[in-house]
Amino acid sequence: MQSVVLQTVIKLLLPFIQVYGLYIIFHGHISPGGGFAGGAVMAASFVLFAMSYGVGEGFKRLPRLIAQWLESLGGLIYIALGLTGILRGAAFLTNVPEWLGQAGQLFSAGLIPLLTTAIGLKVCSTIVTLLYHLLEEGHYDSQTD
Amino acid sequence: MNHLPVLLVALYLAAALGLPLLGRNKKFPAGLFAVGVAGCGLILAAASAWHVAGTGTYSYFPGGHQAPLGIEITIDWVTVFLHLTINLLAVLVLIYSTADLSRELGGGRAKTWYYSLFFLLLAALNGIVMAFDLFNIFVFTEIGTIAACALVAIRPKRLCVEAAFKYLVLSALGSGMVLLGIGLLYMVTGYLNIGAMAQALPKAFAMYPWNVLVALSLFVIGLGTKAALFPLHVWLPDAHSSAPTPSSAALSGLVIKVYAVAMARIIFQAYGAELFSRIPVPDVILVFSTAGIFAGSVLAIGQTDIKRMLAYSSVAQIGYIFLGFALVTMNGIVGGILHIFCHAVMKSLLFLAAGAIIFKTGIRKIEDLAGMGYRMPLTMAAFSIGALSMVGIPGFSGFISKYYLAFGALAADRPVYVAVILLSSLLNAVYFFPIVVRAFFGHKEKQMTWDRLPWAMTVPMVVLAALTVILGILPGGLVRIAELAAGAWLN
Repeated sequence: MQSVVLQTVIKLLLPFIQVYGLYIIFHGHISPGGGFAGGAVMAASFVLFAMSYGVGEGFKRLPRLIAQWLESLGGLIYIALGLTGILRGAAFLTNVPEWLGQAGQLFSAGLIPLLTTAIGLKVCSTIVTLLYHLLEEGHYDSQTD
Repeated sequence: MNHLPVLLVALYLAAALGLPLLGRNKKFPAGLFAVGVAGCGLILAAASAWHVAGTGTYSYFPGGHQAPLGIEITIDWVTVFLHLTINLLAVLVLIYSTADLSRELGGGRAKTWYYSLFFLLLAALNGIVMAFDLFNIFVFTEIGTIAACALVAIRPKRLCVEAAFKYLVLSALGSGMVLLGIGLLYMVTGYLNIGAMAQALPKAFAMYPWNVLVALSLFVIGLGTKAALFPLHVWLPDAHSSAPTPSSAALSGLVIKVYAVAMARIIFQAYGAELFSRIPVPDVILVFSTAGIFAGSVLAIGQTDIKRMLAYSSVAQIGYIFLGFALVTMNGIVGGILHIFCHAVMKSLLFLAAGAIIFKTGIRKIEDLAGMGYRMPLTMAAFSIGALSMVGIPGFSGFISKYYLAFGALAADRPVYVAVILLSSLLNAVYFFPIVVRAFFGHKEKQMTWDRLPWAMTVPMVVLAALTVILGILPGGLVRIAELAAGAWLN
């Protein structure tokens, strides 16, 4: 599906989609949305790109290797942030009271924005990886990666 | 407050996420790493059990938010019992897998993916048994279901993919029912926390009996599908027999029981034994489990494939666990909880022994096993111990749980279930003993040719066989933990 109209529209739309996705992720603690919703929007940008320009182009922009690293790192960062609670002598995932700040501000809520960012990374890379698998329809050889 | 149980889940999740990265290095010893992580898990579970034995049961609140608004994790004796079972079995099965997986999956990266999925499953199982919050039970159930389906589908064979698809569709249906049930209860009580729900439910039941009843039946059917309660067991024989051997052992030994425990936790701790026994659900479960005990055994008799026979036998054995729970008496529940451990040990032992035979000789047909006792004496000895325990011969662990189940049936004033237990034991003997007899006596040439196995396969089998015998003779400690666990459910 290589159409000039589609490709041009996607090219124009991409920055807006990605900025919106980042906005949803970073405002997860003060407004509706968060890591999952924002990550899905971010992923939609990569998905649209790969669908209009072909999977090969998509791989060049977000290679499989990097998607795999982001996917694992997103989850690992979440667990590491949870463990900081235990290291400070409180329960797992306990927030840092000094970092809570003022409710409604962008830089507030302690660990929560960091957690939503980790979730966003994970969701985005997972959806992109899933789609790469679907678009390739099994032509990809796992052994030669 | 003690962090060990939470660290257990975090450890497995981190291992599951880290393995794909570590596995990019072709020389990375995934099997060794997996055994090491599971070993750490077992140490954490044992330390947690030690802590609970010393200071008593407690609740843990992640994030420091108190219940009912925060998430509650309960570390009671049920949790301790199941954590020990899950992690002990995991270590043994993973040791076995280091020798077996190369044959089942071929070389390459599939092995690291397998271990990654296995850890995801372990994280889910450990999570389900300690969640004291309906929604957390649901979330961990979903993680466990998807990981379990992937563990079946990972072998690139048509049969495995078909079995996994069947498993996935039925499990997803079960998950949907559980979610709907949670929604119905949340609607009338306003809580997801099991403790808070237990207090709100009697009033809610008086006002909205249908919501509460429908939710109960959705839990029984939804979790019953995942636990392979009799008429809902149709996915189990395909999935458990076509999966790689370590998966079969873990799926049959652990996964189905964890859903049974989740159901029992919801029923006994959210509904309460009092409300539960006023609704005729225990009778329905008793009928289903009795039918399952007989149907599973009868279907197992007709099988020609050894792994398929073991899978059908799991349908019968999960029936005992539900039978014990549904008797709603102290000894019955103790018997059910004991059977979780005993069956986990002996069914894993049988699957590992069957897998070892397939590994060495490629024989899957039961009738071809004649003389196997002379070719693989250690494996067949382990298989025989497992078979004797399954039948419930005194001196093996299977006897202990059936003994308590029988006392539970008498205490519930339903002696007919004692007859059920006895008769089904005879049926078990009908399909297990011919294999043992054929292996040791069915061959004219009594020539000993010992096909040696890798030590990674023999050690887990020997440990499991030893556990079966030791617990059959000295069950005291295990029974004590099971009694403490059952006590928490009945109050």
